[in-house]
Parts: sequence; C-alpha cells; structure tokens
Amino acid sequence: MITVKDLKKSYAEKPALKGIDFAIKKGEIFGFLGPNGAGKTTTIKIVTGKLKADHGQAFIKNMNVTEEQKRIIPMVGVVPEQANLYERLTIKQNLEFFCRLYQVSFLNIDKYLELVELKEEENTKVKNLSKGMRQKVLLIRALLHDPEILFLDEPTSGLDPASAAGIHRILMNLNAEGKTIFLTSHNMEEVDKLCDRVAFLDDGEIVAAGSPEELKLKYSDKKIVVVIKTDNGSEERTLDITGSESADQIAEWIKADKIISIHSTESSLADIFVEITGRQVR
Amino acid sequence: MNIKRILAIFYKELQDIKSNSNITVMFLIPILLTYLWENLIPGMPSGMGLSLGMMFLIVMVGMYVPAMLIAEEKEKNTIEVLLFSPATSLEILIGKGLLTFTAILIISLLLLVLTGIYSQLFIIFTGVFLTTIFSIATGMIVGLLSPNQMATGVIGTPVYLILLLVPNLSIMDIEIMQGLGKVLPTYYFLNMMRFAIEGKGFAEMYTELAVIGGSVVIALLVLLYIFQRKGFRN
Ligand SMILES: Nc1ncnc2c1ncn2[C@@H]1O[C@H](COP(=O)(O)OP(=O)(O)OP(=O)(O)O)[C@@H](O)[C@H]1O
Ligand SMILES: [Mg+2]
Repeated sequence: MITVKDLKKSYAEKPALKGIDFAIKKGEIFGFLGPNGAGKTTTIKIVTGKLKADHGQAFIKNMNVTEEQKRIIPMVGVVPEQANLYERLTIKQNLEFFCRLYQVSFLNIDKYLELVELKEEENTKVKNLSKGMRQKVLLIRALLHDPEILFLDEPTSGLDPASAAGIHRILMNLNAEGKTIFLTSHNMEEVDKLCDRVAFLDDGEIVAAGSPEELKLKYSDKKIVVVIKTDNGSEERTLDITGSESADQIAEWIKADKIISIHSTESSLADIFVEITGRQVR
Repeated sequence: MNIKRILAIFYKELQDIKSNSNITVMFLIPILLTYLWENLIPGMPSGMGLSLGMMFLIVMVGMYVPAMLIAEEKEKNTIEVLLFSPATSLEILIGKGLLTFTAILIISLLLLVLTGIYSQLFIIFTGVFLTTIFSIATGMIVGLLSPNQMATGVIGTPVYLILLLVPNLSIMDIEIMQGLGKVLPTYYFLNMMRFAIEGKGFAEMYTELAVIGGSVVIALLVLLYIFQRKGFRN
C-alpha cells in the first residue's frame, strides 16, 4: 500500500532523514515512533507529497507520490502536526468547505461530529476552540472524503485520556473497515495498543521495526520477579529467567512455602526505545 | 478548470472576510474618502473625488486584499489544505481573486450612485474592470513573495504608494511626477475617468486603453512566472 525506498532529506545541509525504507500493507496500522526531531513529520510530508525528498522514492498504491499526486490526493486523508484550520470560520464552515473542495456530500460531517461529541460546538469559531477540540476537527476533516489511507501526525497530542481513548476507538473502527493507517506518536502505550507494526526512528534512521510483541520479545530483559514472605512482611526478588540457579532457588522457596507471587517483567515499548537509542522519550 | 471548486473558495473567502476587520475596513475607506472629497473639499472639480476614490479602491483594495489573503494562508499553513486538495493552483488563484474582483465592482457601483455621476458608464466600467485585474494580479505577486502578512506591508507599500501617489501628484501639475506617471496604469485610469466624466468616447482614449491593457498583460505574465517558479512556497 505504502512503500518507501531509501528516503534522504536534508534541511540546509543538516540531514533529517538518512535513508529510510519501510513498507506498509493494506489494512495495517503502522506506528512511527521517535524523539523530537527524529524526522517523523519530515517522513509524513514526503510520503504525502508535500515535501520533495533529496533522494529515494515513496509510493502509494504503486504510484509515485510526486509524479501522481493528483491521483493520490482523493485516496488519502492527512492530520498535520500543526492545526491548519481557518480560524475565523466555524467548525461546520471549515468542514463544509473541505467537502465542497473534494466535492463530496456533507453527510459525514454530522456523523463524525456526533462521534467525537462536537455536534453542539459546530457553530463555534475555530479560534475559540481548545487544542484538543481542534485536533478532533482535524481528524474529522481528514475523514470526510472517506479516504483509504490515513496519515496522522500525533493525532492525540493535547487530548485528555478520555478523548484520546475516543480517538483510538474511532481509529480501530476505521481500521476494521479496512483503512490503512500511518501514525506518528510519542505515546508508547497508544502505539502499543493500536499498531500492528511499529518502527523506531532516531536521528533520521530506523533503528528497529516489527510488531510490538516481536520487539518486546526481542528486547525483553528476560527476568522474573518473585515476591517472597519474610519475617517482617514480604520482599521482592528479581531472577534471570534462564539458568538452573533460578530454578533451584524457586524450588527451594516453593518447598518452604515462601512464595506470594511470581510474574515476568515485560519491557514496555518505552523501555525498549530507551534501550535501543540510549535516550528517553517524553 | 472546475467552477464549483472556484466558487467553493470564493464562498469560503466571503465567510472569512465577514469577521476579518482588517479587510472590511479596507472596503469602507474608499467610500468614506470619496464622500469627503466630493462633498467637503471646496474647489475640487466635479468628478475628481469620484476618480480619486475609484483609484484608491482599485489600488488599495485590489492589491492589499489578495496580498493579505495569500500571505495569511501561507503564514497559517492553511494553503496546504488547498494545495493538497483536488483544486488546481489556477482554481485557487481565481477563487481568491474573484472575491476582491466582485467587491470592487460592487463598491464602484456604490461610489457612482453616491456621487450621482452616470456619464459614460460603459467606459468607466471598462476602466475599472481592466485596472482591477492589473491590481489584483499585482497584489497576488506581493502575496506570493511575502512569507507572512507582515511582509506584505514591506513589499507592497512602495508599490501601493507609487501607484497611488504619482498620478495624484501629477494631476497637481508637478513635473517630474508627470513623467513618472506616464508609465503607470493608474495615471491612465485617472485620465479615462476624467474623459468619461467630460463625456468623451472610446475613440479619444486609445492610449489609455492600450497602456492599461498592456499593464494587465504584463502583470499577469509576471504573476504566472513567479507562480511557476515559486508557487505558494516560502
Ligand atoms: N522546515 C525546516 N527547516 C529546517 N529544518 C527543519 C525543518 N523541518 C524540520 N527540520 C529539522 O529536521 C529534523 C527532523 O524534524 P521533524 O519535524 O521531521 O521531526 P519529528 O520527528 O517530527 O519531531 P517532533 O516529534 O518534535 O514532531 C529536525 O532536526 C528539525 O530541526
Ligand atoms: Mg513531528
């Protein structure tokens, strides 16, 4: 559905992307993770044809994004990083204008406004909206022409947890309808929950890619935590999952009836990210 | 070219302008000025206030409004919505120019009614029509060259001033200005207005028509050139 080959891009000699490759299949939710300045937005801009790469190519449904932009546009919905709504127009006016430009009916407007609970605000001017509300309007705008593919640059940034969960539900429903979704995020839980596959981007390079489970398996630290009874309460012990020493130790505790609980430690995507890049995200 | 999309942009702009006082004020100033010139300045030849008001309308509104509207869309990045939509660049430019164009025609009609001057209306409107196209094209050039709204002032003001002041001063018989005026379409527009008010016909204003027509062609060519080189990018 989306293929990217050896993308390179520099801004004024400073490299932002250093040769990026990935492929996204139809119906996937693909997450792009990375710290500030990693090149996520730059990648989205290139793949949606808004920015030209210095090197390499991007294809959507086998069409080159720069050469066949006008054919691709109706198939694609984009939520940009920065809200670009007409501030002096109301929510409804913004959305209706978009429908007129794409020559699609207004039917979707009400449906989605109700879904994100903005129907009552429809006549409010965008300049009077909160950041989260704008973010919702941007998402609706990207959906009005019923595109097959969605590009979302930090779709839940600035949203409260309930609103973010609402957006997640919408995205999962859209995905169930067969839409392909490319999203960037700093929010590891969000990506973990939503994405079929993720790629970690750091300093213009993809440093790891795979399904969240694969990555967790690959980078998990393979330890278990055992809580045992002691004279004055309880105590937590961490053991390696491999090796006979741990087995012997656990067998001993079991015989002495000392074990309260055993659980494995699972790395979160955030842990993995830090492990791979040696940096903290968020 | 798709008329519906052009009208969509026109309509969006119309909704937007209603609450944009920067722009609505621009529409009102020429009306006010014309009224003042025609009624409150003694010794002003009849029709002169109308001519100056019209010129102010065409230059200030005609250039300032498209320049601001284009620069604002670039500044706020809303231009991306338009560019990354089925609308072609030409549709965007026409859609944006159409509102200013319509507004100028309506306000000039209003000015004629206000001053009660109805002689040679066809000639007057030919002049308004052509000079407005020149002015809008020039305003769009300013908009394309300006990365943001502030910059339209820096780039546009010298142009507005030359187009407005030189013909103004040259009718006051200041000699250098007369030389300068001879290359400006606004100078010939004033001539055209004067001739029309005096009751002269097209046959006596070939020079005026030629210079204004030529300026329209040149402005459109420059607009096209800059547009192709630069588009809406900064
Ligand atoms: N218009 C620009 N001009 C110059 N440099 C830029 C421009 N846009 C991005 N950059 C640089 O390119 C690099 C990648 O930026 P990009 O916006 O793609 O990062 P990002 O991963 O989206 O970051 P964030 O998480 O903060 O949104 C950064 O070093 C940034 O400074
Ligand atoms: Mg970004």
